[in-house]
Amino acid sequence: MPRTIAVDCPGCPPIRALTFDTLGLIKVIEARPVDGNQGTVSSPKVVERWGDPNPSNCILAASIDDRRIDPLLAVARRSGLIEVINPLNGDIRVSAKSDVGSDDDDSIVGLHLFRREISESSSSRSCTLLTTTAKGTTTLRPLELADSSADSSISDSVKTWRVCSSGDVSCSAVDGNECYALYGGKGVEVNVWDLEKCDKIWTAKSPPKNSLGIFTPTWFTSATFLCKEDHRKIVAGTKNHQVRLYDIASQRRPVISFDFREASIKAVTADLDGNTVYFGTGSGDLASADIRTGLIGSNWSYERKLLGCFIGKCSGSIRSIVRHPELPIIASCGLDSYLRLWDIKTRQLLSAVFLKQHLNVVLVDSNFEDEGRTPAAPEAPSNEEHEVIQNLDGEVEDGNVLLPVKRKKASKDINNQNKNKLKLKPKKKNSKRVQAECDG
Amino acid sequence: MGAKRKSREAIAEAAEEDHKERREEEKTSRKSQVLASTIKNKEKRSAVYVKLKQEKKREKRKKAKAREAAEKRALELGEELPPKTVPRTIENTRELDETVCKPDDEELFAGNDADEFSGILKQEVIPKILITTCRFNSSRGPAFISELLSVIPNAQYFRRGTYDLKKIVEYAKNKDFTSIMVVHTNRREPDALLVIGLPDGPTAHFKLSRLVLRKDIKNHGNPTSHKPELVLNNFTTRLGHRVGRLIQSLFPQDPNFRGRRVVTFHNQRDFIFFRHHRYIFDTKETKQTEIKAKKTTEKDKEKEDASTPQGKTIARLQECGPRFTLKLVSLQHGTFDTKGGEFEWVHKPEMDTSRRRFFL
Repeated sequence: MPRTIAVDCPGCPPIRALTFDTLGLIKVIEARPVDGNQGTVSSPKVVERWGDPNPSNCILAASIDDRRIDPLLAVARRSGLIEVINPLNGDIRVSAKSDVGSDDDDSIVGLHLFRREISESSSSRSCTLLTTTAKGTTTLRPLELADSSADSSISDSVKTWRVCSSGDVSCSAVDGNECYALYGGKGVEVNVWDLEKCDKIWTAKSPPKNSLGIFTPTWFTSATFLCKEDHRKIVAGTKNHQVRLYDIASQRRPVISFDFREASIKAVTADLDGNTVYFGTGSGDLASADIRTGLIGSNWSYERKLLGCFIGKCSGSIRSIVRHPELPIIASCGLDSYLRLWDIKTRQLLSAVFLKQHLNVVLVDSNFEDEGRTPAAPEAPSNEEHEVIQNLDGEVEDGNVLLPVKRKKASKDINNQNKNKLKLKPKKKNSKRVQAECDG
Repeated sequence: MGAKRKSREAIAEAAEEDHKERREEEKTSRKSQVLASTIKNKEKRSAVYVKLKQEKKREKRKKAKAREAAEKRALELGEELPPKTVPRTIENTRELDETVCKPDDEELFAGNDADEFSGILKQEVIPKILITTCRFNSSRGPAFISELLSVIPNAQYFRRGTYDLKKIVEYAKNKDFTSIMVVHTNRREPDALLVIGLPDGPTAHFKLSRLVLRKDIKNHGNPTSHKPELVLNNFTTRLGHRVGRLIQSLFPQDPNFRGRRVVTFHNQRDFIFFRHHRYIFDTKETKQTEIKAKKTTEKDKEKEDASTPQGKTIARLQECGPRFTLKLVSLQHGTFDTKGGEFEWVHKPEMDTSRRRFFL
């Protein structure tokens, strides 16, 4: 008999992800908790679509400043346009034309939106962007967040420098403290720059020739910092299907390098725990490996362990992997135009959403979970947020400036403020319990 | 309505009778009969199986007879015929696929406008094809290529020599070719076809099987040099759509209808069947030729008869050119680069969860 029902994927916890595709569309995918019965979550669906399909608007890179209040999203398009968008409703806050990166062969490959300090942002209302083009021109520019997107002004303090003299940069990353950036690419060894001094502090050295005397040309396709706090450990994936671990503190050659299957490594993402790496290949294989230091035998050496592959009919090249900051979930997307959500522990496919275009980047909005929880348990904001809101109110009194705040949340909270004060204790318990449910 | 009900009643009666009989049989047999597979003696077991099989056959025949009778009665009384049952095939019970293209999808059309083939399909660029082979090429390979050259207009054959395929791609880009076709042979038998879109189009790798050359087709015709018409059947999903467009971009978009030449790519269960025909419109009065035609291309004619409205003119087909079957192995983003390339689709064994799951 024909099987008429699809193989059911175990549902995923409430999550909100944004995907960026080759037609310049931004799609918002949400899995919301179902109203009424607690604990059940609807399957992820496309809830919003921003932008019109236009091939010249193809999104090459994106970065999110993921905060509870006033989050921002930066997007680099093929036409050389860089837009700063509100990830909650898709309004364009600022759009700036970058003078470099408008050619076909010198497109933007890396974009990073710096996190803003809450106190600072309220005063200066600007954001800082780091862009990298394929030729290696890196620009650090502050952007004023004007209310009307039309008059955007680029301040004078634009810092520009060249990362490499030859070759093509294809990947860049900024470490957790946002002091260092790394670059790598075709013919460009992994190098680390100090962003404050705009100075190169470290360059990798290519591995020696093999036993046959054959030298494999350097071609890095993806790289990332391994730990959030530590900028000294770097994981890079090469075109020759190698995953390498570099340690700035110890040596210039890779500390560990191992092969994975036969297609080039296209995306590398580090886990929060600082020793697990997720990587995806050009033929749609996704795997995680544990890279860990340890004392084996007499000499110091590294031990690595391939934890396993994520199997789920993924047939197209993986372009982007992102780890959810709290939940044990990773999201991957790529040329097969599916957004897939995976469980880290069981390596099981939780859910797949078909999005019609080749996807370039996926990002996760980590604060959605709290937002989604509000309708179910309306009086359950955490303690910190409470303070923040109070803080905000103070500002309103001071400068008569109201920052755009997370939609539902803020309005509700300001209304409920007095209630919240009274009910602080049971609230906490409730939120903890929900957290536990999500984890379990 | 009434007629239908009557016929239905008749069927129901017949069915009821059947049921009664069966029930009685069951009653008698249940006492003695145990499950056939539990009988340990092989001879006895097989005897039971034979009996079961015969019973099944009898029932089937009875059913068919009842259906026929109902139909006949309806025909005699001039009533509406009972609805014909549609046999269940693998195609029409295909597993639900969300990637099937829908006609009202604006993103699909926007994507089509932006893709690599849009220049050719909008007739801004005339397709120009480079055909080459693998390094070792003999016997059926060259014969197949010469026939491909007659099928695809504006195609040129280049000897492979010892050039790298990547070098050939570079060369073809500089010479403004729009596609490259590589025929791969193994043991003197063509077994794979590589279609590379240029300058940055996708690379499709097909398995090629069941190749019949022109001279091996009975009563084959010889194609003219007119630009052929193209028929693409059943390319439904996104992937299928893309493969279809890749194939479409090999042919000029302005066929000479006077040439009456058709090239067909028919997709069925992920196998793409290639056929090349000439057709002619004929009147039915010439009986002798018709009979002759029936003999040669019976199958094709039946199809045509069904499609043409009832009238005197009919279309007759004559097969010419090669006949082969393609199966997609992988579709790669960008030009040929197996090591470092990004694949849009690769066939993986874990995708074969069901026989009713198709990708094109």
